[in-house]
Amino acid sequence: MANLNIKSKQENTYDAIVIGSGMSGGWAAKELCEKGLKTLVLERGREVKHVQDYPTTNMMPWEFEHRGNIPEAVKKENPVVSRCYAFREDAQHFFVKDTEHPYVQEKPFDWIRGYQTGGKSLLWARQVQRWSDFDFEGPARDGFAVDWPIRYKDIAPWYSHVEKFIGVSGNRDGKPNLPDGEFLPPFELTAGEQYFKDFLRENYPEREIIVARCAHITGNQEFYAKQGRALCQNRTLCQRGCPFGGYFSSNSSTLPWAAKTGNLSMQHHAVVHSIIYDEDKGKATGVRVIDAQTKETTEYYADVIFVNASALNTNLILLNSTSNRFPNGLGNDSGVLGKYVAFHNYRAGISGEYDGLKEFTTEGRRPTSGYFPRFRNVYKQETDFLRGYAAGFSANRSMINDYSGIGDELEKAMTREKYGPWRVGSHMMGETIPKEESQVSLDPNLKDAWGIPQLKISMDYDANDEAMIKDYLEQMTEMFEAAGFTNIRTRDDKRAPGLDIHEMGGARMGKDPKTSVLNEWNQIHSCPNVYVTDGACMTSTSTQNPSLTYMAFAARAVDHAVKNLG
Amino acid sequence: MDRRSAMKQLAVLTGGVIMIPSCDFSEEAILQAYQNLNITASQKALLTRVTNTIFPGTTLKRAEEIQLQDFVLVMCNDCLKENQQQSFVLGLKQWDDFTKQNFGQAFSKMDQNEAADAIRETMSLEAAPESDAALLGRFLAITKQFALQGYLSSEYFMKEIKPYELVPARFFGSKKIENA
Ligand SMILES: Cc1cc2nc3c(=O)[nH]c(=O)nc-3n(C[C@H](O)[C@H](O)[C@H](O)COP(=O)(O)OP(=O)(O)OC[C@H]3O[C@@H](n4cnc5c(N)ncnc54)[C@H](O)[C@@H]3O)c2cc1C
Ligand code: SF4
Repeated sequence: MANLNIKSKQENTYDAIVIGSGMSGGWAAKELCEKGLKTLVLERGREVKHVQDYPTTNMMPWEFEHRGNIPEAVKKENPVVSRCYAFREDAQHFFVKDTEHPYVQEKPFDWIRGYQTGGKSLLWARQVQRWSDFDFEGPARDGFAVDWPIRYKDIAPWYSHVEKFIGVSGNRDGKPNLPDGEFLPPFELTAGEQYFKDFLRENYPEREIIVARCAHITGNQEFYAKQGRALCQNRTLCQRGCPFGGYFSSNSSTLPWAAKTGNLSMQHHAVVHSIIYDEDKGKATGVRVIDAQTKETTEYYADVIFVNASALNTNLILLNSTSNRFPNGLGNDSGVLGKYVAFHNYRAGISGEYDGLKEFTTEGRRPTSGYFPRFRNVYKQETDFLRGYAAGFSANRSMINDYSGIGDELEKAMTREKYGPWRVGSHMMGETIPKEESQVSLDPNLKDAWGIPQLKISMDYDANDEAMIKDYLEQMTEMFEAAGFTNIRTRDDKRAPGLDIHEMGGARMGKDPKTSVLNEWNQIHSCPNVYVTDGACMTSTSTQNPSLTYMAFAARAVDHAVKNLG
Repeated sequence: MDRRSAMKQLAVLTGGVIMIPSCDFSEEAILQAYQNLNITASQKALLTRVTNTIFPGTTLKRAEEIQLQDFVLVMCNDCLKENQQQSFVLGLKQWDDFTKQNFGQAFSKMDQNEAADAIRETMSLEAAPESDAALLGRFLAITKQFALQGYLSSEYFMKEIKPYELVPARFFGSKKIENA
């Protein structure tokens, strides 16, 4: 803390501070600003303005030098981020490169990050399925982790609040383990998906395919026009940033909305080093920030602090926030901070072909796919592994081209396309069990370019995950075969944890301060003016994509914070 | 003008082709645009003949008209692993000799039919992996793969032959196919 920048304390004092401008921080900021609090958002990355800073958004395929591919030299230098499916020429500028922000893999972990305005909300796949009590009651029923301090009824109104604002397209499917929400018109299933749905209904009545709910605007135009957003135009180029604001990102939605209130201040290149704890006052009073470019240190102060740096970075900040009162990290009386982290098991997949429905195809593009809600161990334990998996499911009509020739034969073939079979495919999304030995910690020696300890990550698959992969592949193969699919191929790509980009936990919520970091309102038990409402707060992982739940927690926690302010 | 800026000047004049200073005047210019490949203008010309043979422009545009050779070289330079890059460059350098030995005539002297046959035959040879024939098979496979990728994603193809829609603004899951 050499060159401390001592501006007047008053000048650097706000009502609230939000650390991180991504998906969850954007929500905290919007809610705080709307409720009249002068709010400072601290973002370590550069500024990315909606539309204006989406350099590739309107580029045609031939305008990319490598037609989307990432050059070998970049891959070699950045093997981790290069394994992410979305790290392509059109969106690579929104990803953290391995070389820029090193971390320590005690066990292999592909940590995918986006450091800029909006964080990873620019890049996400926009899948937003609600959690249900089959998820929130999981740890208590099955005896792992600790009991969630909340139930579905506590968060349901906040799901609605978030869904209405971000815009969620979906069907009211009436499934108890995937509760319905506030939906705009759904995208259609393809004919192939509908066939499989009907097949299941006949043959596996407790299993169902639905169209995945996704954060795209498909109706209620006037409402979203107020955010400057328009109907989704089916480009499926979302990862570049959408010129229509058709999908939800902090950049297109929550942050501009917060700015409109006049209560928002944003600092970019502001790396939060730690949270300041004042022992006399018995609470957190602000944060220490290092300027990413000048490395100058500044302190900012506020009555309430929201930590939304994304799950693992939030752990890092809390672990690095030490004081006499909290020598092992802020709020870490229990010793569980950094522990019980978990992820989603995305290792397995299956593909095949369907020769029927020859007179049908699809037209246009769809920014979502089919979704197979969890069917294993929902109502009771029925397998030799705990919990279960959801799965993506899609069926699309293939086109066949014979590119085997050369010369005129090839040129002619390129102008003649034939319809091929329907291609069907699925990938698993398995719940994993948070365990004490799965943890993140500060490396005792290695520091980053700003003098902050590097994060050491240690989590892995276990026997439960292996059994689940086996079951997924068996069940899917059985159903695919029974449905008449052919050329069935299964895969287990053995990917490291992390590529699911659903890392969670480390500062889990719980009822008992002895075994958890946060209470039912996402407040640190022993430092209640600090709220953690990103993935770090998650007690268990469910199978559903988690970001909708982070956003709902953020909105709910702000409501609580504002009601309880001085 | 010092030597460096003279070189630069020359590079501008020759469109990126810089003469490598050497006492051996038979040495040919190395194309600076592809720093991982170390190939010359005449090797590029030979590659252009290969891509023109693959896409001769009888039904669609000829490869050269859409600068397919440039795309193949960019991809080989930037997006290939080192061993594949080597196969490509070695293959390109040996292609004329190989065809001369095996087809009685250097590729660069062949007409379209002969050239097409030479490519077809070499690509379908079953050869031991370390043999020259296998190396040339790999060279042709890489060239064809990138040429095809470049063609299918070219402005010409995606505008005139199979129009690409940036903004479809629709999705139908079950569309009836006329005369399926
Ligand atoms: C390709 C891809 C697909 C995905 N698909 C889905 C999906 O379909 N559904 C789903 O639910 N989720 C999905 N996710 C995950 C989703 O993006 C994240 O869960 C979500 O963005 C997390 O929100 P967050 O606010 O916690 O973190 P982020 O959105 O990552 O934002 C964190 C912000 O904090 C900033 N920050 C970090 N450290 C500091 C610090 N020390 N000081 C100041 N600022 C800091 C970062 O720069 C960043 O801007 C996907 C992610 C990716 C990359
Ligand atoms: S699919 Fe919709 S949201 Fe995505 S880029 Fe396109 S118009 Fe925008």
